[in-house]
Formats: sequence, structure tokens, C-alpha cells
Amino acid sequence: MIKKLKIIGTPVPKHDAAIRVSGRAIYGHDIVLPGMLHGAILRTEHPSAIIEFIDVSEAKKLSGVICIITADDADVNNIGYKRDHPILKKGEANCTRDEIAAVAAETKEIARKALNLIKVKYKIRKGIYETSEALKESAPQINKFSSGKFENKNIAEKFHYEHGNIEEEKKKSAHIISRKFTLPRMTHACMASSNITASFNNIDKKLLLYSSTQVPFLYQRDMAHALKMNPSDIRVIQPVIGGGFGSKLDMHPFEPICALLSIKTGRPVQLIYSREEEFIASPIRQPMEIELTAGVDKKGNFTFREINIVKDNGAYTSWGATTPFVIMQAFSSLYKIKACRFNSTAVYTNNVFAGSFRGYGNPQATFALERVIDLLADELGMDKAEIRLLNANEKGEATGQGLHYETCGHKECLETVIKKSNYKQHAAHNRQSGRFLHGTGLASMLHVGGGAKIYRSDGCGTILKIDPYGYCTIITGSNEIGQGSETVLAMIASEELGIELKKIKVINTDTDIKPWDVGVHASRTSFVAGNSLLGAIKILKVKLNKKAAELLKTNHSNFDYSDNKIISLKSNDSIALDKVVREMHFSEPNELAIADYFYEPSSKFQDKNFKGNVSGTYAFASQAVEVEVDTYTGNVRVLNVYVAQDVGRVLNPLLLDGQIEGGVVQGIGYALTEELLMKEGKILNPNFHNYKMLTAADVPDIHFFPVETIDKEGPYGAKGVGEASLIPTAAAIANAVCNALDVEILELPITPEKVLAAIAGKKKLKTEKI
Amino acid sequence: MNFEIINPGTTKELLAAVKKFQKENFRFGAGCTDFLMELKKNPSEGLTVINLSQVKDAQFNGLKKSVKGLRMGAMLTAHKIVMNEEIKNKYPVLHNAAESLASTQIRQVATVGGNMCTASPSGDIACALASLQADCELLSTTGKIRNVNINSFFAGLRKTVLKKNEILYGISIPANIKSTKNIFSNFIKVGTRRSMECSVVSLAYHIQTDSNGIIIKAGAAIGASAPTIRFAATACDFLIGKKFKNITQKEKEEFAEKVLSYASPITDIRATAGYRKEVLFNISKSIFE
Repeated sequence: MIKKLKIIGTPVPKHDAAIRVSGRAIYGHDIVLPGMLHGAILRTEHPSAIIEFIDVSEAKKLSGVICIITADDADVNNIGYKRDHPILKKGEANCTRDEIAAVAAETKEIARKALNLIKVKYKIRKGIYETSEALKESAPQINKFSSGKFENKNIAEKFHYEHGNIEEEKKKSAHIISRKFTLPRMTHACMASSNITASFNNIDKKLLLYSSTQVPFLYQRDMAHALKMNPSDIRVIQPVIGGGFGSKLDMHPFEPICALLSIKTGRPVQLIYSREEEFIASPIRQPMEIELTAGVDKKGNFTFREINIVKDNGAYTSWGATTPFVIMQAFSSLYKIKACRFNSTAVYTNNVFAGSFRGYGNPQATFALERVIDLLADELGMDKAEIRLLNANEKGEATGQGLHYETCGHKECLETVIKKSNYKQHAAHNRQSGRFLHGTGLASMLHVGGGAKIYRSDGCGTILKIDPYGYCTIITGSNEIGQGSETVLAMIASEELGIELKKIKVINTDTDIKPWDVGVHASRTSFVAGNSLLGAIKILKVKLNKKAAELLKTNHSNFDYSDNKIISLKSNDSIALDKVVREMHFSEPNELAIADYFYEPSSKFQDKNFKGNVSGTYAFASQAVEVEVDTYTGNVRVLNVYVAQDVGRVLNPLLLDGQIEGGVVQGIGYALTEELLMKEGKILNPNFHNYKMLTAADVPDIHFFPVETIDKEGPYGAKGVGEASLIPTAAAIANAVCNALDVEILELPITPEKVLAAIAGKKKLKTEKI
Repeated sequence: MNFEIINPGTTKELLAAVKKFQKENFRFGAGCTDFLMELKKNPSEGLTVINLSQVKDAQFNGLKKSVKGLRMGAMLTAHKIVMNEEIKNKYPVLHNAAESLASTQIRQVATVGGNMCTASPSGDIACALASLQADCELLSTTGKIRNVNINSFFAGLRKTVLKKNEILYGISIPANIKSTKNIFSNFIKVGTRRSMECSVVSLAYHIQTDSNGIIIKAGAAIGASAPTIRFAATACDFLIGKKFKNITQKEKEEFAEKVLSYASPITDIRATAGYRKEVLFNISKSIFE
């Protein structure tokens, strides 16, 4: 029997809400250490150039400058997913972000002034900014550290996947659609700019880092590799993090550079990006071209998908190169699909390199996939909702890639948004003439919902203790980057141990203290850390039950924990929890109320053909979007977004709303306005003035309907929710715009200019037809 | 990023400060919303800022209604324009332009004088004032006032006719014609976002009709479409004597063509010249729809 939940499912405000809104939260920018210096980085003036010499002599003479380093001063290893990225560049520059030299000075102003005094002589080269150029035989090798294991010197990474018999499915197809989609560069634009404070102790040779990484334990290892240190000599403390969204999955050059400055000076050094630097030097969402060919039989069943992707890798390889793990999953397993062949190639260019970004390739894949579904429906003359319902994933399904859907809310999500948005009514009666045209669009998504085993372990450790005063401390490997994991963990402990929330503390910021966890990514934290905590609670309860039974003079262990008490379910006798803890401590068995547990999800590492059940569970979502297109200006206004998402179980409706709304707004930005514009390797809009992130005034009505499928693997049945809400939004908006205008949109963002061009193109087409 | 700052407390002190620094590298600081961006971009050496926000002078800071119209001190903030009922009712174009400016926070400090003197082609308040054919008062260090029509105030991209010894003191907008029965007045701002946006194209218009619905006065100005904000005189003249509600499709397009003849837009990061022209044409037509 499932007991009635008291805390789980209630709208508990975020644990750290008050300290954040009152300005008491301590971000990396707020840290001040005794004797601290300020670091600054000189970046290349040219995205592609030979560096003939670097002269730092004038800068060194500036009063207040303590240390200047270039590649010649650094005995370090390359960083990055492929170890093809030198942290300071020597001999050549390949990307506008390239770090040429770094300064540590007494003040920020002096550090910046010193940068202006460093003389660098460049010999400008013709850069390569198109993947097609990079793949030509005549192109030079862009990254000299590349693995060289592929047929072309400028290929950074390749993925191939397939299932089913493509040729046979092609024969069965009544219609086949083939399109090429182009996806832009989008940047995370975290409110807190990138920052680090490094403090090297040259007595014990240990390095302390205040860093806003999302993955502290992988970071510790990466940092140790870069600096040729022992990982355990590096302690990572995470201050409050002002936005992650995937940007802090990779370790970036500024971080080991700051550590090096501290090692060289023996003093703490702080390095904080300006907003312009944040735009220029932070990772981005992968730009890519997706060629998708897909078929459907005459009844509307999807037959096959064939995908060729070319990704602009930029000059160096980050975790972003591995997004095809997720992209291929969408193509192989979203909707029932009998055959799938997937190829992706990441190509080095002199552009800025991508990193990971909420959705991890999935928004790109979903855009292409869902646009083509609309086109297939048009070809068939089938309703766009019906074709989706017909092909929707189902509970119990094992996909061609080997994903097992033990629970699956796909169909229910679709049905919910179709109904709540009045989709069919709208689709039939949308305004077809006049200045403002209305359109509606649908899209679904599939994403991992129980972590993703892309590292050898996808687990999380927990140490749990209850003190003699009845307060509980959760020391968890997972960390908080604003998503609310601290709150959810405290709620779980409160639910299970009957301890009120204000008596629960979550410790999660220090690698010297907390047990291992792979980090915040793949929408995994509530699922994995939640299960880990439940495991620790179970162990601790065995100890507490034993003592409680002794004190209550009973021989059973059937207890309820509530109101800070342990209550016998047989006799209704109760005893205060803190008293039990004290009795454990001060009398036999003289032990503390402490337990630890490590949870490893049941997911499997995929085989070399990328087959296997990679996640503990899977999340599904559908969105229906209504737009109004101004045919005079080309502006698209999103009027309503209907979201139905299989979240397993709602753990906290307030936090869930936040995740959904935040994701949708980020998705609208991706669809309509956000693009980091580049010309010949340089970023043209490194500011909020021209990088059009949406504001509160642009947010439409977002109608959210959680779908609870109660997954047996998740804590209380919950699945991961963090990324999902962003993934189908752009696809649904594009479908809505196409519906409004009767045009084809093959590219994001759908800017006003593109809308007017599409309308003009249609007019032209009509004229020609006549 | 070092600069000197002078804080005059009265108009007399202000004029004395201008006199003292007129031959040096100085600039005025009103709301400082543009100035902060400039500082970050090109910190100029040896700069002196004459801070205008401490000057106690109702004529410089306030708003006054008279039979001739409405006079605004150059230091009147965008927020005060938005909150003023008279402006909202009688000059909706100005109200709407001020309301479309940046964000609530910026509007608390941004001033009408600042918007004018920055002389950006995409200045929203300035564009509305151009459609209203406002009159500018330029106060010199001698204490004399020179009046300049707004259409002569902008000398080029980010340039005005202000001399080194002058400051924009106030702006007057003429009262609506007595026989005016209806006002068709609006500021159309085209951009990507609904706030914190810089106009990609803008059109300000203020059209007055008599009791028969005949247009008796018309003002239309374009923003972000030429090196300066421009008053579309021939387009306005074209409307006089026509019945607003009966403007034909052909006349709409003729009006839009005339507005467009004042545009010489550029292609920049925000939009192409072609887009700006197409949209300006479309929104000009839209006035009558």
C-alpha cells in the first residue's frame, strides 16, 4: 500500500529563495580572499593567425602587475573532450576566443590596463568558417592536436547508428520527404558571468577552487590532468551558481589559467568575465545542418528516417561533440519507427566551439523531425494531430535502439495538448486573410528521464545524519545550479523522516566533503540524487527502528515517522526522534545516526553500436503553440503555449512550473530571436542589445498539464524534467508559423526578415504558377 | 574609466560650468543611460561630465501646459511623460513612444533632452516629437534662448545643431487645433522584443481631423530609416483635406510611398535596408487600416 504523501507533491518554495532575492546569496563574484589578485585574459585579435611574437615586457613594468603568463610559461596538458585544446595558445590562433596571455594584478583595472600593453605580432591567415570549406582536400589542418583517425583531417568526431531495414521500409513508404534544416548558434547568457577564484597554497601544494562548474568531480579530474596534479590535491567549492544550462559541463581554459596564475604567484587569484567576454568566450548550442529523409506508409505509419548531420565543431572539441548520443535517440526512438540510419560528422572550423546546452542536441533534432511530420501529414492529407497519435510511443515499448519504456506518457501528452489547446478547432478555423494571421503547431519530445549512462558511472552518493537535536543533514554528491535540487532533497527527507523542513540542511558544495556524483546534466539530479537519498534513509531507519522498538518496548519495526516523532503503528505509542538519536549515541549501541548510500541507476552503458537502455527512465512531452504572424513586419507573436509533460510524478508543483516556464521561454528565444551572429570568425553581437534574449514582456500564456505515469524506478515515481520543456518548443512554433502562412520554415531563428522573405517567396511562387 | 564630474545646483551654476568647460572635453550627463554604454565602449581620457540631475529649475525639469501647447523641460523623464494624463489624451504618439522606450527602470531616469541630444536615428521620444513638430529652446551661456524647430535640430547621425556653449533647455509642442474633433496619433515601433528594444524601424504620426472627419493637420516622422529622424513633409501635405476614414487603398499606398521617399536606411546587424523599407511602407499603410 502506498502511504499518503504529506510533503511530496506540495508547492514548497525554493530552499534558497529568500537568500537569493534578498541579495544574501554568495556568488563567485562576491568572494574576497586575503591578498587576492585579479586575473584577466588577452584574447587573439584575429580568429586565424600565426602568432609571430608576444612581448609582455611593457605590461610587466606596470605597477601592480604581479604575474603575466603565456604558453611558454605553462607546463600543462591540453583540455577538452578530445584533449585537442591548449589552454594558452602557442604559435597560432584558431578562434576568436583564443587565450594568448593572462595577467594577475592588484586590481581589475590594472589587469585590464596590462592587457593593452602586451604586444602581439600576428600574421593574419585566411580562416575557414564553413564546414564545406574545411572538408576540401586543399584546406589546411585547423586543429593540429586532432586525433587524425578519420578520413578527413578536419573531422573532429563521427557517429553512425542504424536499426531496421531502411531499403525495405522505403519500398513500403507511400510518401517520402527529404529536407535540409539549418540551426543557429545560441548562447546560454547566464545571469552570473563566468567566474573562478583559485587559491594555491604553496606550503602544502594544494589547490582550492571556488568554481561554478556543474560537474565538480569530473572537473577536479580534468583540472588535475591539465595542471599535472593529483586530483585529490584539488578541492572544488561551488559558490551559488547564477545559471548553468549546460554551459558549465566543460572545463574552459580560463579556469586552469586562473589556477596557474595562483600557482605562479602563491596568492589567490580571481577571474570574472565581463558581459562581452561572456558572449564571446562561453560555449554555445551546436550549429548544424540536418538532412532528414523520412517516410510514411499509406495508412500514416512512420516507416524510416535517414539522417545526415554536419556540425560546425569550431576550433576545439568539447562535450558538445557528443550531442549525437541524444540526437540519434530522438531520431531512432521518438514515435514508433521501424528503421533508422543516422550519420553525424563534426567538422573543425575557425569558428567558436560549441558546448553542451540544455536539451543537448535534442531541440535541433526535434525541430527537423517534427517539421517533417507536418510535411508527411500534408502529403498524405492526414490530420497533423492524428498522424502523431497514430505513431506515438507506448508503455512497454522497446525501441530499435534498445530504450525500454517501462512507463510512457507520450500519447496522453499529445491528447492533453490537443484537447486543452482546442487544436482541431483552431487548425480548421485559423484566420487566413488580413494583416495578422494565426497558426497552431504541435510537437513532441523524448528525453532521458533517469540520468544517462555516458560516463562509466551515473551514480550519486549520499551521507545522511540526524543530530542529537533532531536536525537532519543531507550531504549529497549532487549540486544545486538553480534547478531546485536542494529543495527536493529536503522534501524527500522530510517526507520519510517526519522532520520539518526548517530542520533539514543540505550540504552539497565541497568535493573534500561530499561523496561522488557525476554532476548536474541529463535532467538527472532529482531522479539519481533522490534515489540515493532514499537509499540512505532506508539504512538509517533500520538503526532508528531498532532503538525505537527497544525504547517503546515492542518487538516489531512497523513505525511511522511524523511530527519529529517515531510512532508505533501497532500501539500508537510514540517517542521523539531526537530522543531516539540521543539514546543510540549515549547508550548501547553507542553509535551516531548516520548512514551512507551510493545509488547507481539500472541503466546500461550502450554498446559500440549505441544500442542499450541508456537511462533509468524516459520523459515525454508534447506542446501545442498558437502564434500570430504580423505579415506587415514579419514579427511572430506566441500567444499560447500548451505543455503536457510526462514527469512521472510531480514532486513540487511550484518548482516544476518554474522549470516548464523557463524552458518554454528559452525555447521561444531559440525559435524566434536568439542567434549569436558571426562573420569571418568574429562575433557581431556580444551584448544583450543585439543578442535578442526575450524579456518578461514577451512571455506568452503558458498552460501546463503534468502527466503522472509513476515510474517504478524514480523517487516516488518521478522522472527528470529539467531539459524537456525547452526541447519541442521551437519545433511547435515553426509548425505554427508554417500553418499560419502556408510556407516552409527550414531554419531557426524565424526572424521577421525570414518571415517576410517566406511570404514574398510564396507570392512569387503563386505568381509563377499562374 | 576616470572622469571628472561637475554638479551644478542651479541654472546659473550650470551655465557657468558650460562656459568654463566649453573648450575642453566635456559632455552633459542627464539620465546617463546612453553615457554609461559609451563609457564602457570608449572610455575617453580627461573627460568632464556636467551632471544635470542636481539642477533645481522647474523650467528645466518640469512640464507646463499653456494655451499654446505643452512645454517640457529637457530633464523631464520618460516616466513622467508616460504618467501625464494630458499627454496621454492629447498627444498619444508621445505617450506611446515614451512607454515603448527601454524598460520601466530606464524610463525612471532617461530624459526627453537626453533622447533628443543623443540624436540617434532610432530615438523614440525624439521621433514622436518630430511628428508633433516640436520647438526646441537652446539656452546659451549668455543666458539667451535660440528657438529651433525640431526638424532643423538634428544635423546628422548623432549630431545636433547645439553649439559648444549651448544646452537644450526645453521643448514645446503646439496645442492641437481648436476645431480638431478627432486625433489619430500613435507610435509604431518595430523590433524583436516588446521591451528593452531599439527600434528597427519606427513611425510616429499625429493626425487631426475636424468634425467632418477631414484631415486638417498631419505630422509623420520616421525613425531608424535615415541618418536622422525625418519629418515626412510631403506625405503629411498629401493628407490634408482628405477624409481619414475614406482614404482609398491607392491613397494609402501613395502616402506610404511618400513616407518611404524620406528613408535611406542602412543594412546593419539588426536589419537589412530592404527589410526596413518594406516594413516602413507596410506600417505607413497600416495607419489607415
